[in-house]
Amino acid sequence: MHELIKFVPAFPLLGFLVLSFFGRNIKKEAIIGTIGSAAVGASFIISFLIFLSFAANPPDSPHIVSLFTWISAGDFSINISYQADQLSILFSMIITGVGFLIHVYSIGYMHGDRSFYRFFAYLNLFIFMMLNLVLASNFLLTFLGWEGVGLCSYLLIGFWYDKKFPGVRITWTGDAGNKAFIVNRIGDFGFLIGMFLIFTTFNSLEYTDIAGIAAANTSAFENTTIITIITLLLFLGCTGKSAQIPLAVWLPDAMAGPTPVSALIHAATMVTAGIFLIARNASLFALSSTTMSVIAVIGASTAIIAATIAIVQNDIKKVLAYSTVSQLGFMFVALGVGAFTAGIFHVMTHAFFKGLLFLGAGSVIHGMHEEQDIKNMGGLKKYMPVTYKTFLVAMLAISGIPLFSGFFSKDEILWYAFSNGSFLLWIVLAVAAFFTAFYMFRLLKLTFHGEERFNTKRIHPHESPKTMTVPLIVLAVLSAFGGFLGIPYVLGFGLFEHTNLMELWLEPIFMDANIILNHTAGHDIHLSEYVMMLISVAIALLAIKAANSMYSDNLEKSKKIIRKFKSGYSLLWNRYFLDEFYFKTIVDPILSLSRSFLWQFFDMKIIDGIVNGSAQLTGSLAKYLRRIQSGVAQNYAVIMVAGIILIISWMVF
Amino acid sequence: MSLTLLLFLILGVLSIASAIVTISSRNPVVSAMALVLHFFMLSGLYLTLQAQFVAVMQILVYAGAIMVLVVFVIMLLNLGDEKKLSEKWNIRRIVAILFAFVLAIQFISIYITNLPDAAFIPESAAFNGTVQAIGTDLFTNYLVQFEAIAVLLLAAIVGALLLAKRKIT
Amino acid sequence: MPLELQLSLPLILILILSIKIVMVDAKFGNNKTLGFVTALAGFIVVFISAAFTLTISPEAIASLNAEELYSKGTITYGGFAAYFDMLFCVAAILTILAALPYFQKENSEHNAFYSMMVFAVAGMMLIAHSANLLSLFIGIEIMSISFYVLAGYFRTKEKSIEAALKYFLLGAFATGFLLYGIALIYGATGSLSLPEILTKIAADDFSNTYLTLGIALMLIGLCFKVAAFPFHQWAPDVYTGAPTVVTAFMSTAGKAAALIAFIIVARALFVIDIGQAAEIPDFQTNAIMIIAIISAATMLIGNITALVQKNIKRMLAYSSVAHAGYLLMGIVANSPQGWEGIIFYATAYLFMQIGAFIVLSVLERKTDKNLDLDDYSGISKSHPFLAAIMAIFMFSLAGIPPFAGFFGKFLLFTAAIDAGFTWLTIIAVISSMISVYFYIGLIVYMYFRKSNTYPLEADMGSAKVTLIISTACVVILGIFPSLIINLINNFF
Repeated sequence: MHELIKFVPAFPLLGFLVLSFFGRNIKKEAIIGTIGSAAVGASFIISFLIFLSFAANPPDSPHIVSLFTWISAGDFSINISYQADQLSILFSMIITGVGFLIHVYSIGYMHGDRSFYRFFAYLNLFIFMMLNLVLASNFLLTFLGWEGVGLCSYLLIGFWYDKKFPGVRITWTGDAGNKAFIVNRIGDFGFLIGMFLIFTTFNSLEYTDIAGIAAANTSAFENTTIITIITLLLFLGCTGKSAQIPLAVWLPDAMAGPTPVSALIHAATMVTAGIFLIARNASLFALSSTTMSVIAVIGASTAIIAATIAIVQNDIKKVLAYSTVSQLGFMFVALGVGAFTAGIFHVMTHAFFKGLLFLGAGSVIHGMHEEQDIKNMGGLKKYMPVTYKTFLVAMLAISGIPLFSGFFSKDEILWYAFSNGSFLLWIVLAVAAFFTAFYMFRLLKLTFHGEERFNTKRIHPHESPKTMTVPLIVLAVLSAFGGFLGIPYVLGFGLFEHTNLMELWLEPIFMDANIILNHTAGHDIHLSEYVMMLISVAIALLAIKAANSMYSDNLEKSKKIIRKFKSGYSLLWNRYFLDEFYFKTIVDPILSLSRSFLWQFFDMKIIDGIVNGSAQLTGSLAKYLRRIQSGVAQNYAVIMVAGIILIISWMVF
Repeated sequence: MSLTLLLFLILGVLSIASAIVTISSRNPVVSAMALVLHFFMLSGLYLTLQAQFVAVMQILVYAGAIMVLVVFVIMLLNLGDEKKLSEKWNIRRIVAILFAFVLAIQFISIYITNLPDAAFIPESAAFNGTVQAIGTDLFTNYLVQFEAIAVLLLAAIVGALLLAKRKIT
Repeated sequence: MPLELQLSLPLILILILSIKIVMVDAKFGNNKTLGFVTALAGFIVVFISAAFTLTISPEAIASLNAEELYSKGTITYGGFAAYFDMLFCVAAILTILAALPYFQKENSEHNAFYSMMVFAVAGMMLIAHSANLLSLFIGIEIMSISFYVLAGYFRTKEKSIEAALKYFLLGAFATGFLLYGIALIYGATGSLSLPEILTKIAADDFSNTYLTLGIALMLIGLCFKVAAFPFHQWAPDVYTGAPTVVTAFMSTAGKAAALIAFIIVARALFVIDIGQAAEIPDFQTNAIMIIAIISAATMLIGNITALVQKNIKRMLAYSSVAHAGYLLMGIVANSPQGWEGIIFYATAYLFMQIGAFIVLSVLERKTDKNLDLDDYSGISKSHPFLAAIMAIFMFSLAGIPPFAGFFGKFLLFTAAIDAGFTWLTIIAVISSMISVYFYIGLIVYMYFRKSNTYPLEADMGSAKVTLIISTACVVILGIFPSLIINLINNFF
């Protein structure tokens, strides 16, 4: 069965090729939408079949399906090969499953767009690249996917390129795409160098080889500088793709893209690539305690910082964007404290409820005729009942209300942050969780409750079409019940051996890493775990209560508070001035170096100045000669001689 | 001090001096004549190195043919506007001269501290300079290069014609 | 046919072609397309003959006795020389296909252009084939002289003439150093033949200081030819001033030729460090460190200066300088792996850079119009084909997988890391990161900006063939890089 894995990426690729070559000639939107969705749906079915065969007969080691040799030079060769194991199949199911729903949703959302086919072609290409990322059996193929998803994200953020989009030094959506792409390149720098160092250290880029060598020589590698450097560099790559500090600045601006894109790429799938990469190399990361601590600290600070920023945002999508950054922080904390399963579990539940939140937001925006500011909404409950109900489910899930999916995954992270990490880590996450519930219910109140703050005569909100609401309902069901796949052992009260199906499923993947970290598989029941659980539920309820009372009389009370804490508000409103900081410290110096020194000194002043100054000169050779003599060539010659003197001094003396 | 060394010093100093006059003189005819002198001095230097054939060719080709052409061109173009071609003293010029000076010192110090011993002067030097030896080498060992030189010349001629044509028809 | 004749067929054919094309020009000067047809047919024939010599087994070539050959061992046959023959012919074919409509548009068609192209290719092929410093020098000179003329091909345009003169003056200056270096190496080792020099260096039978000085001077001359810092400043001016199709050819095939010269010299002068106790001479350690620093400086300066360019041609010119920096990493690695990396990257670079310049040439209008970033606003609407392939070239130049440029960089970077130059690789990755900014900038203009009020016209004509071939190669070499890698694996 696992041989079928090579067809998983094949269908979206086929869909992309068909749509990009023939899409222009297909006039019917329904046909284009069906092709695009069917390609992803087919991949999901295959993934699901492989999943079933694995569930019936769990493999101990990954199956590797090789297609062809990509590069072979000298003693190393790299194949295009896919790795079928529990982790990759799980991710593949999330990607194609949620991806399929979002494709269907897009048929309704993108209705009437002038480049309808292009949108679906890009989406299919994205799914193909993302599948390459998670199914790859070696770093290079993952890197292909890694760059590919970045490329698609770039194309899709700027999809409506002639739309204005405000931001720090951003005016058009195209600029936002650009920013995302370039910030990600900094992360890719880490990925690339890390990959090269892995190659020199392990002499292979295959995940199974590296994990094998790392597990076999634990004592030789543990906490060595080279492993720490490699893992930190890879983590730098992860902070880029998964929008963590210090590279978190691009994700909120990525909201310039169409909403289904935000749901698919910037919430459910691409941004979790960093989590995937660390999970995939868990045994490598486990070897460096420094890196693990760094991951936990970065994750926790991102979680709290993003959550506080989200409180003051008024753009419905930006609230969700900061929420995503914050939730990704939670996942990184889980990885950092060695609770890999908990991190992956949260990836899955997050894909459900955050995908749902974005699609719901899209439905609201659609119904409100492209209005995104929640200050201009309110009282939408009665206009869009389905959207409201599904939105509410997702909110309960993300806030961590018991029995909803987010409760199980988030609570597990909180517990491991306490038991494997430290009390401080737990406090930070608990505060972040409080803010999460708070900004979510603020969003809910301002959007759906209260009075209409828009001109009801001019704007007539309406419920979205079936193609949009059906995916919402499916995701709502998953958000509500998806958490039962990972019930904590303590909630089984010691009566069942396996309550956490997720942990059982992923156990072979993280076995080596858990051995390195001395995490035993067995469970004990701690009283403290129940206490923690109760505290976190209390926190969520408290936050909901606070949000409810603060925004019950529309915006009056909140305005008072803003006036009271003006400076704090401005700090949050300006996102801690992170963007400005980067521009001032990195971008501007490089540009001015280029402009004022390299260009003006070597190029513009000397060359262009002379060329322009003498543009009116025409004719004879003597005049050209004189211009040559009047500077440029001699300047070059002088600089050349300087170089010659240096080289000779170095070589001979 | 041997006679060869004395000759070498005289010729060397004169050739450098004439080269400096060539580039620093404002009168093109003086420049051209200084260049002719320079070629003669070079040819003398070749002779001290026992390269008779090259020495003769130097005079025949450069002093004889090329310089005649150069002088004709100067006459025909009647370059009177000499002031504009001259250059004022500026920082670049000072820096350039300074660099040239440093470079010269580098080379001289290398040569003075590493005077080659006799082993590096081939014994067959006297024979190697003859027409016979060069001819044999050119048509056996360096046959391919000899032919390649023909292409180089052809390329130069065609290129010169292309650039010199007044207008494209 | 005797084996030597078979092997030297590409060289012989290009010489015949170079004479024939001059005669065609002399006799049928008014028939503008005849020069084009002759050159095209000639290049194809040379390409086929070179491909044929590549099939001759290396053992058969190695068994030839140098003394019995006409070339007396001054010429290398088969292997990478034949590969580069093919590469240069492909570059020339791609260029002249695009040159035909370009010069028609500019009203400056001339058969002599094709003659100069043939001469340039002849010179480059001689470089690739040389096993002797004399052949190397003559090859470099033939190539350079052709380039000086080609750069000044637009004799009525100031910029073009200025480019040619600047190139010529500085080129002559650098050639002096190159020749002086060759003379000193000859003086130190008593030989011009590279294999002999290698044996003399291995046997420690040379004068150290003179050889070191000779190597330093040769290094300078070669760095000028590849346009490496601080000898690179002619490149942006010349590449901007020369006719766009000529720039496409000079900045790719010319760079490849200079690098193969570098490889040939490095193979003769440097011992490969295979980790054993082999003694590495001081001059080698120093020279390689210098090249490493030059390489790092070249890519940083090229990419950073390209950042603020508003003129696309000039931006690509600076990026071409930066690429010379990446390519030099293969010399720094000083291993077969590094040389293979250079060959692969030179091949990939050739297609993507020619492609990018040809897109420019198609959209360019007289007196250097339509070369600014602003002119390219929203051309994805009016010219979807051109915009799409330009985007592919830009992604490939930026080194984004799965395009050919990525694998070139990958091979070069791994070679440098293997040779212990991790710092150089880090600089290379950083500078290629910087380069993304301006490559993507162009794509932003093409795709994410509103169209200009004045639509650009594109008359592609036969340039379409060039563009399709280049795009296909950039994509295919990215997905199946093994096609080339397997071929070049047995060269060294």
